Amino acid sequence: MSITYLEAIRAAQEKALADDARVFIYGQDVGAFGGAFKATKNLAQMFPGRVLDAPISEDAMVGLAVGAAIEGMRPIIEMQFADFSSVAFNQIVNQAATLHWRTRVPCPITIRLPYGGTSGSGPFHSQSMETIYAHYPGLIVMTPATVEDAYSMLLEAVRIDDPVIFCEHKYLYYHLKAERLPTEAVPVGKARIARAGRDMTLVTYSAMVHEALVVAAELATEKYEVEVVDLRSVKPLDTDTVMASVARTGRLLCVGEAWPWGGVTAEIIARVAAEGFGLLDAPPQRLNAKDTPVPYHPALWAAHRPTARSIAAAARNLLRL
Amino acid sequence: MPSIPIIMPQLGESIAEATVVHLLVQAGDQVQTDQDIIEVETNKATMNVTAPCRGRVEKFLVTVNESYPVGAVLGYLEATKEDAARLGLDTLKPKKSEEAELEIHSLSYVEQGDGQRKKVHPTVSGLPVPANAAGAGYLSPRLKARMLELGLHAADLAGLPGSGAAGRVTIQDFEKFIANIEQHSLSQASSMRVAVADAMRRSWTRPLATVALPLPFDPLLKHRNASNPKPGPALYALRALGLALSEDRAPAGRLIGNKIVHPSSIDIGFAVEAMDGVLVPVIRNAEKILLKDLVTRYNDLIKLAHERKLPADATGGSIATVTNFGTFGLTWATPIPLPEQTLVLGMGAARRVPAWDEAKGQFVPVMEVNLTLSFDHRVLDGGGAGRLLSRVAQLMGAPEKL
Repeated sequence: MSITYLEAIRAAQEKALADDARVFIYGQDVGAFGGAFKATKNLAQMFPGRVLDAPISEDAMVGLAVGAAIEGMRPIIEMQFADFSSVAFNQIVNQAATLHWRTRVPCPITIRLPYGGTSGSGPFHSQSMETIYAHYPGLIVMTPATVEDAYSMLLEAVRIDDPVIFCEHKYLYYHLKAERLPTEAVPVGKARIARAGRDMTLVTYSAMVHEALVVAAELATEKYEVEVVDLRSVKPLDTDTVMASVARTGRLLCVGEAWPWGGVTAEIIARVAAEGFGLLDAPPQRLNAKDTPVPYHPALWAAHRPTARSIAAAARNLLRL
Repeated sequence: MPSIPIIMPQLGESIAEATVVHLLVQAGDQVQTDQDIIEVETNKATMNVTAPCRGRVEKFLVTVNESYPVGAVLGYLEATKEDAARLGLDTLKPKKSEEAELEIHSLSYVEQGDGQRKKVHPTVSGLPVPANAAGAGYLSPRLKARMLELGLHAADLAGLPGSGAAGRVTIQDFEKFIANIEQHSLSQASSMRVAVADAMRRSWTRPLATVALPLPFDPLLKHRNASNPKPGPALYALRALGLALSEDRAPAGRLIGNKIVHPSSIDIGFAVEAMDGVLVPVIRNAEKILLKDLVTRYNDLIKLAHERKLPADATGGSIATVTNFGTFGLTWATPIPLPEQTLVLGMGAARRVPAWDEAKGQFVPVMEVNLTLSFDHRVLDGGGAGRLLSRVAQLMGAPEKL
């Protein structure tokens, strides 16, 4: 058996629907059509009346989900593309994120964001929105990098009482395969050492984990041992694991596909610099997408986002310091 | 002729890979730009991969019925330089790693007059490790923390060449160094040794220089032998230095920023060797008390220093130090001033040397010592230091006036 990242997301939703009658899925074309990416394929047939097509209004979708959550339901919202979740921004950050803090009524909604760049997708179908949502207290932001995490973290997202922004990387949908789905899960907010090393800590998440692992393998041929930390969720941010890794290596490179300004990489470096300055043997570095809208042209896109090549160059620079 | 890669294009928003169904041309065939060359199938539709450029198909790297991800190189096309350049494909070749690295730091471009875009080099290029960081000249926060933990100083790493940028000592270099040290036989340095080391390290942060001259010693010896109690030889030097500085205190001043801080009183220390180190008792107001009245005090202080019982008011606060390295039989040395002082006056061992006697027209034996003056070259130049030392020698040449 071989399961893709996308199939794992579908399987997690099937299990969530089967396990808990309060769970339902709401989104554009998620019903009979099975979703734009087929992440809800056949679920409408298997769970009649619980996989519902929404109008093209992300605002209304999340508003409905918040209301349903108040009434005790556990909705899963599928945004067709993460980019359009900004239409629902008010409902997400003002309503969902603050509900429990205002009223003590929990808001157990899961918002699935098919996110991140693929070649030729341009500015409206490529954005990495995790940074925006991580800024808001009250939201959990998950960024699974593996098939196993996509499955177990989505189940966890539905199970917990907090509103969860579930960032599923479109580039991983078909590329990434696993032999079987996990039966046990790493707790939310716990990072994973994707590859151990003693010379440098490379902290990243989601699709960039795979670029980082390529870099680590390449640098191993140059006698450098790069430790790759997969954050798994950017909020909560597992500072302890990052700090422990920097304590081992003394060097820190953070990589994110999102824009650099005030983002996840900036947050990690700020924390390490403030709390672990004495662990650093070289200035902490970061590599993000360029600070421009995501370009359409494949060649420009390849230059815009961090790639194994640009990460390797940044890593070599840091290792030579 | 440039070799242009044929790349699996993005065939749709959610398409990650496609299967090769047919090769529509053969290797060696001439093709036109945008001509269909490979037929591929996705889970949505069958589509064609087109030639990126006019040219001759060099080779295919694909197998029919195999699936290839978006971005995979499916083959190569041989095109003319002109054709490749016209389509912007000549820039697709892998960059040299230096170029790729530069790009990370510099996103700024300026438009040149001829419409060419030229990279602007940032004012501060590269990464923020100072260029003059060789050895332990630059210590990373981690290295500082580790050294603090182990009680080490930058000077302790003087023998350690760094392998980092600009030759800096990295934490790996440091840990190897420490591991190596532990394989040697080690003994504990006394607290006196550590205190002297600390003072010398601080002192050595300044540019220090030494001037010297020979002093005829017979008048002083004669005076000393006629005195009771006998003043120590260094006390003559101390008293002479006190008198010389009373004429102009500036040479004993300290340079702090752009100010010379003048000493408020002429208190002069003298070095006394004690167990595994040196103590420096102080004679206060050395310019005001006659040599004969200083002898008892001087001898008492030496005794107290040997017993390590110097009272608090008898140490510290001095503006210069006298050291008689002649007691070790040395004729020449370059002592280092204490970190809070600008001057150290040194005195070598007396020895009999031939001196030309003009009246007799022959060499005659005379006693002579070398006087040295080490100084902070930021405060004094060779001329100023030389004038001060000459004045001290002149005063010592007439010991009955001291």
